[in-house]
Amino acid sequence: MTCLPEKTDKKLGLLIDLNICVGCHACAVNCKEWNTSGITGPAEDLKPYGDDPSGVWYNRIHSYEFKKEGETDRTVYFPKSCLHCEDAPCVTVCPTGASLKRSEDGIVLVNPDVCIGCKLCSWACPYGAREYDTTGGVMQKCTLCVDKIYDETIPEERRVPSCVSTCPAGARHFGDFSDPASNVSQLAAENDARDLFPEMETKPVNQYLPPRKRELHESRKLDHKVSNVKDALIKWAKLDFTG
Amino acid sequence: MHPALSVIIFTTFSGLGYGLFIWLTANILGGTPPANDQSVFATILSFVLVSVGLISSTAHLGHPERAWRAFSQWRTSWLSREGIMSILTYGPMIFIGGNIYLNLGFDALIKPMAILGLIGSIITIFTTSMIYASLKAIPAWHNKWVIVGYQAYALASGGVAYIMIGGWQHYKVVIALLLVALAIKIMTWVHIDKHRGQYKREDALGLPDFGKASPFEPAHSQKNYLQREMGYDLCPKRRALMRWIALGCGFILPALLLYIGLPLAPLITLICLGGLMAERWLFFAEAEHVVRLYYDKESV
Repeated sequence: MTCLPEKTDKKLGLLIDLNICVGCHACAVNCKEWNTSGITGPAEDLKPYGDDPSGVWYNRIHSYEFKKEGETDRTVYFPKSCLHCEDAPCVTVCPTGASLKRSEDGIVLVNPDVCIGCKLCSWACPYGAREYDTTGGVMQKCTLCVDKIYDETIPEERRVPSCVSTCPAGARHFGDFSDPASNVSQLAAENDARDLFPEMETKPVNQYLPPRKRELHESRKLDHKVSNVKDALIKWAKLDFTG
Repeated sequence: MHPALSVIIFTTFSGLGYGLFIWLTANILGGTPPANDQSVFATILSFVLVSVGLISSTAHLGHPERAWRAFSQWRTSWLSREGIMSILTYGPMIFIGGNIYLNLGFDALIKPMAILGLIGSIITIFTTSMIYASLKAIPAWHNKWVIVGYQAYALASGGVAYIMIGGWQHYKVVIALLLVALAIKIMTWVHIDKHRGQYKREDALGLPDFGKASPFEPAHSQKNYLQREMGYDLCPKRRALMRWIALGCGFILPALLLYIGLPLAPLITLICLGGLMAERWLFFAEAEHVVRLYYDKESV
């Protein structure tokens, strides 16, 4: 049913720390790996070894350069997947009920047996979280590894989305945002967590921690008097070690 | 947005069909029903146009055989509501055409059915427009001009088709409607041109306080589904050309030809439909999706 639940028992989601992410794409690769045999997979790969490969990825790693007056430039790696929004526009536009938000944990899913492939949900999503599977004729998206996080046959500590378990830098956290005592809620509260695109009024569950303010240690600060390489070389040539 | 032919045909043909049916039912209710064979022709033409539009809209589905499922989510989905309204509006359409053609004798029911057909057509056009106008992620569509416009284009083009069927006495009203539709189209363009660029990449990233962001390296080597579906680039030259074709063929030329009284109404209808198809092509091609902020657009 495409009516959004008034309240979900849990708000499972990801907290992604942009200060830590190194842009290695391991989360995207492991996501692909798990979901290729997952409940909504396989995530198609067309011409994977050809000139023009294309396919479905539930998670993609963008990267941006930020320039700000008076600060050094900053590179930010930006993993982006479904944010499992509380007011998910992709769910309410669905004409068939294939797109749904679960009342128990808030996970947004597509039922591939009901989806007619009209693509309207991908138009409604401001984040580009949904990708169309041309092979199956249905829409696909991040499932928050719903077939992994509840799997009691694997050790409890491994019951997290595959993007989280694989992140070598520890930039990704998984938990229940409705519980103020959870790891993700506490990290979010302590670190100025951000919604993506709040102007779209989707109330995303996933949160992003912004890059922290940088304060260089005294010893790392460049001495601007000798920061010019040419000046420095001239000083060295004169065996001048002052300043 | 990628201008897919299936949705261009869907919205223009069904708009023309419902517009024509509105003209027919309004004339029945206003006490000026056309001759019987003209009424039958008008309902058949409406039926065919609406059906071609609906069938065309299923052409872009991944699973057309599951299209029946689209009638289930009327509580939240404008696409579902559109599907239901279009099926319901077939009722009065078939009744009016069938009753006259087969001479069934239910003449007392014609007027109530005309009321249902009139309201049903207006609501169906409204639901079609809301499929687009409800999408906040596409600012060019998320405004009232889209809703007003869909009604105006349907009524104006339907009026041209009604003249073709024999309603020449209404030519002044149709010319007026074409000019109103023309004004609405221009106002729509003024609106979307003025509001272009209201959302910034930094908003999309949730980092408005970190300065100016620009893509550093792409997230993937080849274009993905999102870029193919929503990354349509319209160059200003082509936009200007298409805007003139849309205005010229959709509204100005039909109004002019009707004013001159050229007895070639079928041709005028075709010109008008062609112009509206150009207008609808632009409706998609001009609309920028905010997801482009994560890719190649600084602002949308």
